[in-house]
Amino acid sequence: MSILIDKNTKVLIQGITGVEGSRACREMLLYGTKVLAGVRPGAGGEFVESVPVYDTVEEALKYHPQINASLIIVPAKNVKDAALEAIFAKIPLINILTEYVPPIDSSVIMAWAKKYKTRIVGCSSIGIISPSKSKIGSIGSAEIRHIFKKGPIGIISKSGGMTAELAVVLGKHGLGQSTVVGIGADTICGSDFVDILKLFEKDTETKATVIFGEVGGVSEELVAEYVKNKKIKKPIVALIGGKFTHILPSGTVLGHAGAIVSHGKGGYDSKIKALQKSGVTLANTPEEIPLLLKKILKIKTITK
Amino acid sequence: MKLYEFEGANLLEKYQIPVPKRQLITSLKDKILISFPFVLKAQVLSSDRKKAGGILFVNKKSDFNQAIKKLLNKEISGEKVTKILIEEKIKGIAEYYISFSFSGIVKAPVLSLSVKGGSGIKDAFVYPIDMILGVEPFFIRQALSRSGFLSKDINPLSDIIFNLWKLFKEEKVILAEINPLLKTNDGIFFACDAKIDYGKRRAVENMNGDIAIIASGGGASLINMDALLLAGGRPANYAEYSGNPKAELVEKITKEVLSKPGIKACWVVGGTASFTDIYETMKGFTEGLKKISPQPKFPFVIRRDGPRAKEAQKFLSDFSKKEGYDFFIYGFETPMVETAKIVVELAYGKKLKNK
Repeated sequence: MSILIDKNTKVLIQGITGVEGSRACREMLLYGTKVLAGVRPGAGGEFVESVPVYDTVEEALKYHPQINASLIIVPAKNVKDAALEAIFAKIPLINILTEYVPPIDSSVIMAWAKKYKTRIVGCSSIGIISPSKSKIGSIGSAEIRHIFKKGPIGIISKSGGMTAELAVVLGKHGLGQSTVVGIGADTICGSDFVDILKLFEKDTETKATVIFGEVGGVSEELVAEYVKNKKIKKPIVALIGGKFTHILPSGTVLGHAGAIVSHGKGGYDSKIKALQKSGVTLANTPEEIPLLLKKILKIKTITK
Repeated sequence: MKLYEFEGANLLEKYQIPVPKRQLITSLKDKILISFPFVLKAQVLSSDRKKAGGILFVNKKSDFNQAIKKLLNKEISGEKVTKILIEEKIKGIAEYYISFSFSGIVKAPVLSLSVKGGSGIKDAFVYPIDMILGVEPFFIRQALSRSGFLSKDINPLSDIIFNLWKLFKEEKVILAEINPLLKTNDGIFFACDAKIDYGKRRAVENMNGDIAIIASGGGASLINMDALLLAGGRPANYAEYSGNPKAELVEKITKEVLSKPGIKACWVVGGTASFTDIYETMKGFTEGLKKISPQPKFPFVIRRDGPRAKEAQKFLSDFSKKEGYDFFIYGFETPMVETAKIVVELAYGKKLKNK
């Protein structure tokens, strides 16, 4: 098993004709993902990598009713519109790659998604990969396609870049992944750590989860609360970025839109304290993560 | 990106929210158009302004010059005061707190209200906004009533809050806060301080150290900064680019971080990229580097991997030999946090590190 996506995932790409959209399409097909259709208003009838393009989501679904996930890669100002189109077409899983979507637009998307019980991953998500089964988005593209290997570890990362870095580090110790999810680090996120941890909790393939968090927001603090209340029981190893931010003024925005320096709740110390108290294992560097996992899972040393 | 108070006040005015009469001055020579008594407010972004003595009340002309001298060029939380806002003194009988911001927990904007202004958001009642409906005036009246506001204040306040919502939504800010909102004896309201935050970031955040940093990846940059501090390094800046930027952006960042005086080493660092063109971005880096004069003699530690990394490494190595730079180049086989130790050793020498 895996979470969110597997061999039966059938994908629509909204924004398939763009540079990033067509590249993601090519990469997903190379990985074996079933990309059934694309949407680009005004480009109906065209093909991208032999995938048919339609003017509307409704039309794409008419010809490909099996579609059960949509990848959105459209300009930031069009994301709300595209996401609502997919939500109203009742596609159950939407992965939004676009960065810099105004949080006010994201809030509208999340409100409708809640009403229609749509799962949103993103915005600013690098994608989702269930190694050797399927992937959505830019995650694990080109030269780094093969660094994600099947195995017992779930990964949830606010950072897209860190998904590859973590897979490399785990791979050196023979630890593969069940599913790797880039949740993005926007102020308003469709799925936060807890939302995805709940799925890993039920997944028989996943034995432990690695989370990469960072300063800003309180989703790491929420994890601590869930673990403390025993709502999440599988072991978690967390790496949190932004210890250095105590020397920056509060309110400074770092790499990601939601990485906002705070010296109280949402700050580095608040997250570390909460996670430590709850019993989540903390890593200081990426390289420590596989060592901690092996200790927790009582796996004998296999180093490549 | 936070707005200064005077910029925030202008924005409030644009959305028909009443603000006191005011004037911005930058020196003693400026002609004063506001009559005494008034308040002088240092224009800094720090929230410790009041505690740090950045607000002074001036009752008569004879006190004015001294007060200005006290404020101009004063440092508040590391920020030098270059602008002062002169604001008419409003006599208030009550101070309220109002703001719109976002909550990641409810995944929606929230309205925060308090009848005790000044104390800030910590004591406020928080009302999540249903974005299917948006904000309708009844929602604001309900929130005011639940938060203990006087019934005769409910109508005028709900107008102000509705206008603040319009500002929040149309300007696409992440914070629109009025604190305090002053009520006068005549029942008129004035927004006496505003915090407006667009949530935008600067390309380079200056810090006080001596190791210049050009980092890639939002998450990786934080892990690497942490590793640098742990290794005893003193960052001169925080700078990050990610995605697949054009060479020009990297060139611009490189120029900015390396033109700072007193740099002892430069660290170009990132994780294993998924779709950043390493060759293209490293070309941008060398273009920026060529424009720094005199030519830097300090060491450069470069750790990058991902698409076209092999080409990039060869290009960097040829470039350093030809132009005479001290480059130390690494790929994914060297953990990125390892290179923090390397750059610290090269910058300060081993002895200093062992202290």
